[in-house]
Amino acid sequence: MIRDITIGQYYAQDSAVHSLDPRTKLMGVLVYIVALFLVKNPWWYLLLFVVILALYRFAKIPYSHLLKGLKGIIILLVFTFVFRLISTPGMPMAQFWIFTITKEGLTKAVSLTVRIALMITGASLLSYTSTPRELADGLEKALGFLSKIHVPIHDMAVIVMIAFRFIPILIEETNMLMDAQASRGVEFEKCSVWKKCRNVFSLLLPLFLSAVRRASDLAMAMEARGYSGEGETSRMYPLVYHSGDRIAYVLMFLFLAGVMGMRIANIY
Amino acid sequence: MINVKNLVHRYTIWESDTKKSKKTVLDDVSLDISPGQMVAVLGPNGSGKSTLAKHLNVLLLPDEGTVWIDGKDTKDVKALWNIRSMVGMVFQNPDNQIVGTSVEEDVAFGPENNNLPSKVIQEKVADSLRAVGLLHKRKISPLRLSGGQKQRVAIASALAGTPKCIVLDEPTAMLDPAARKEVINVINKLNKEAHITIILITHHTDEVVGADKIILMNQGHVIKEGTPKELFDDIGLLKEVKMDVPQVTELAWRLKKQGVPIKTPVLTEDQFVTEMMRIYNNDNIWEDC
Amino acid sequence: MMKVEHLKFTYAKKTVDECKVLDDISFDIQEGEFIGLIGTSGSGKTTLIKHLNGLLKADSGMVYFWGQNIYGRKYVLSKLRKEVGLVFQYPEQQLFGKTVLADVCFGPINLGMTKEEAEKSAKECLEIVGIDESYYYVSPFELSGGQKRCVAIAGILAMQPKILVMDEPAAGLDPKTKYMVFELVEKIRKTRNIAIVLVSHHMEDVACYANKVLVLHEGKLILSGTPQEVFAKTELLRRINMDVPQITSVTQKLIRAGFPLENPVINVKEAEDMIMEVLRKLGGEE
Repeated sequence: MIRDITIGQYYAQDSAVHSLDPRTKLMGVLVYIVALFLVKNPWWYLLLFVVILALYRFAKIPYSHLLKGLKGIIILLVFTFVFRLISTPGMPMAQFWIFTITKEGLTKAVSLTVRIALMITGASLLSYTSTPRELADGLEKALGFLSKIHVPIHDMAVIVMIAFRFIPILIEETNMLMDAQASRGVEFEKCSVWKKCRNVFSLLLPLFLSAVRRASDLAMAMEARGYSGEGETSRMYPLVYHSGDRIAYVLMFLFLAGVMGMRIANIY
Repeated sequence: MINVKNLVHRYTIWESDTKKSKKTVLDDVSLDISPGQMVAVLGPNGSGKSTLAKHLNVLLLPDEGTVWIDGKDTKDVKALWNIRSMVGMVFQNPDNQIVGTSVEEDVAFGPENNNLPSKVIQEKVADSLRAVGLLHKRKISPLRLSGGQKQRVAIASALAGTPKCIVLDEPTAMLDPAARKEVINVINKLNKEAHITIILITHHTDEVVGADKIILMNQGHVIKEGTPKELFDDIGLLKEVKMDVPQVTELAWRLKKQGVPIKTPVLTEDQFVTEMMRIYNNDNIWEDC
Repeated sequence: MMKVEHLKFTYAKKTVDECKVLDDISFDIQEGEFIGLIGTSGSGKTTLIKHLNGLLKADSGMVYFWGQNIYGRKYVLSKLRKEVGLVFQYPEQQLFGKTVLADVCFGPINLGMTKEEAEKSAKECLEIVGIDESYYYVSPFELSGGQKRCVAIAGILAMQPKILVMDEPAAGLDPKTKYMVFELVEKIRKTRNIAIVLVSHHMEDVACYANKVLVLHEGKLILSGTPQEVFAKTELLRRINMDVPQITSVTQKLIRAGFPLENPVINVKEAEDMIMEVLRKLGGEE
């Protein structure tokens, strides 16, 4: 249910990974994903896994968070695994009912599932080590060329920031409203479709009104603090590359070059 | 610092799609606030105090009359951003005024809008957070703060604009007593130590006993203006507009009505104890009156 | 009427955020009682009241209502929801009905009343909370803040509960509206002989209306008794960052300074009478 959603996963730590420029980290995730698609041999996944483990350690993120990121997509993983397992033609290994499990199927299923899992762990690391604001800023700057063709990229960054700020508040509010309406006899789980619609309406209308109220309050607070939606603005932490970023880029390049080299040289 | 002369404000009420009427929420309000003062605006809901606050930051413009901030007319469009940078605002709902997803990000929002150099912003953010005692929470998400801490962040955010004056519109209305104290202490400290002019809008009388001046409003009018002593001397007026009176003040006032020679108004507990002990140790208490 | 025994509840079980919110809470609620439930933010007050109408289920411990175990297999929770009305903070935010009357009828109809019964009950309750007939078919969003809150309270009251639990019913209201709401609650209690559980930060209000006070601290029930008994423990309350009514604090200071009062008091009228008595005696002896 709604109660289980969490958002904004920033894990505050003082680490070299945290202090990297968000653009570097975005690039890093990109490189990592490309690498995942380049390699084929399961042993290489192990290596990539070790890289991720090292990065988590380096970023001082506890390994329990590594699993936490995967928990959200567990159904997807299981589904992918099972689907691949039973739908790949090849040498039969086992058979039950109408399903046949093949050797190829097993290999494919394992490698695809592992690939997705590694991808998510990598992306999670990005969201653990960068605040939503940093990510928005990073994207803003990386996509800065778009503003030349009148895409309001700065406004979009502000919108992202506000969304991240208010989604948890609105979720909290939804929970509260669910409790309040449940106290007035609403049962959200078991009832007819028509009643369900009415019950959802008893949440949606108050929620909508509250969102409007919050928005108007916030607009006033932002205006009072000099937000005008136009003109030049600056940043407390402007995005500048430091030596750490340069090192990171070099490492990324070497890593990618290495993986590509292996691939081209067909060394599996 | 702030001059308000014959301010009138009317809201438009749409009774139906075509019919509209005007409601006067501020009627001929005049004020004069000097730099460094701590001024409390007291009054029940609908007395127009929040509307007044919005005029001080040019979030609203007068229908009649004039508001000057540091000599600048709020109707002057060119002075708009100048005035806004002089007057910091803190609103009632702590959740609805924090923009940033971390404490320092929020405090930086104002200076960033003013396009200040990064170094200056960092200094201002650190100074402001230090002033409200939340520097150690700078990296934390506002979701993890208590109500009182959120309001202190809001105060820090207002401070980061280096204002001469901060207007607080019922900053404690949604807080519990401990958090209320926490916020009021910070406000007092800013006034005493940083000499920032404070305009505190509230309906809690116990928060205003330390103010330099109290403005009592009712139904769009200023019905009394004076020091806390002057205001609490006339409990009748406060009761008439249905405002609370601190319990010691009320007790002293009741005792006086019974003929006890107590000097009113009594504003603090200690003052009450001193007064009572003076009377108790005086042998012939009943002859004085 | 209701009996709570050894209630325990842990939030976010088996995660990093795990924390005990309620720890071994026992108390009971009698008909016509006015209970003040106090504690600092995060002491577990809101969690506790959610157990009273079954919104949350305790990890261990029992809640009995009229002698029946509400966690029993055959117990119908919707019946409990009807008997234990829960008014949340800022209840006006939950309004959504097209008209005031329709909104107030929402709860009763959900809980099985017929339309006629619900309307009858709704009208009675709107009358109690002082909403005039002329507002019945108006949208609730056109009312003033204080009126909206009264409508929301009527919406719970119309379910005809035997216990009315209110979380900070006066939060964010100005003193005038606040007294109106409290007087209303007291009136409801007297006319319907139902029990009130008032969650409040405001010690003065609790001292004024409650006849039993429960103090919650870090999920434990650390004090309970009459307001006089509870507020006499000023030291303990201060230590857990809570207030006592100003009048209690000042009478305590008087006693310490040597003024011959028998014990600290909890309301202004009482303080006035006791001080006058002392002073009169003093004058009489002369």
